Amino acid sequence: MGLKRNVGLAVALRYKGKTPFWSYILHRIGGSALFTFFTIYIMALAGVDFASGILGNWLFQIFSLSFGLFHIINGLRITILDLFPNLIRRQREAIWLEWAVFLPLYGFMLFVVFRSAVGG
Amino acid sequence: METAKPRTLPLSKRGFNFEMIMWIFTRLTALAMYGFILAGLIGGLIVSAQTGANLADILRWAFLPNLNENPLGAYIWITILVKLMVIAFVLIVSGHGVHGVLEILDDYFAGVVARRWFRNGIIAYALVVNAIAIYVIWAS
Repeated sequence: MGLKRNVGLAVALRYKGKTPFWSYILHRIGGSALFTFFTIYIMALAGVDFASGILGNWLFQIFSLSFGLFHIINGLRITILDLFPNLIRRQREAIWLEWAVFLPLYGFMLFVVFRSAVGG
Repeated sequence: METAKPRTLPLSKRGFNFEMIMWIFTRLTALAMYGFILAGLIGGLIVSAQTGANLADILRWAFLPNLNENPLGAYIWITILVKLMVIAFVLIVSGHGVHGVLEILDDYFAGVVARRWFRNGIIAYALVVNAIAIYVIWAS
């Protein structure tokens, strides 16, 4: 029999998990974004025209790259903490470090995408 | 100051079941993806050293390998190696992603029938997408 948690979105968003919880939510959104990107990328490879159009759209690029980049960096943090469980007591510091890595890369990425979008 | 005790179990006490195998699979595929990205970047750097390419070319060869534009595409063994690496990367990404999406769906759809449909659907999706990807990469 399936598990029934009965936790609505509003209740879930009020959960006081703070940074680890929000990282968990963003990781899932990022995974879903990358899954969407992967599907559209394969469709574009297969020669589907509208998929190539979506891949070239700068809004889609920003959406995929934003969440995708977070998923990649957060995934590295999760993997490191999983492989070295003694570091879990430092997980909040690890999350701040993760943001310190993410934000400059994200800024650079936004700059590159916007510059391409305006034809620079 | 008293430090919090880590809430972790040693491997020997966790049991070795399907969930455990998939947990290891997810971590190992993530590490494999980082490895492939690193290999792609190093490959791009090697090409750039031989051709004087810029950073944009390096990134394009690393993540969007198009051997028609890559000067090393003239070497047969490099062509085969790159194709095999890209196919392996796609299979790993697909396995990791499909398992992740299924895990998310399992969390929000609790019914046995719904879960079974999602599982079968996602396996069918993986088979079709991987077949298309392998064909396109190998035939390109």
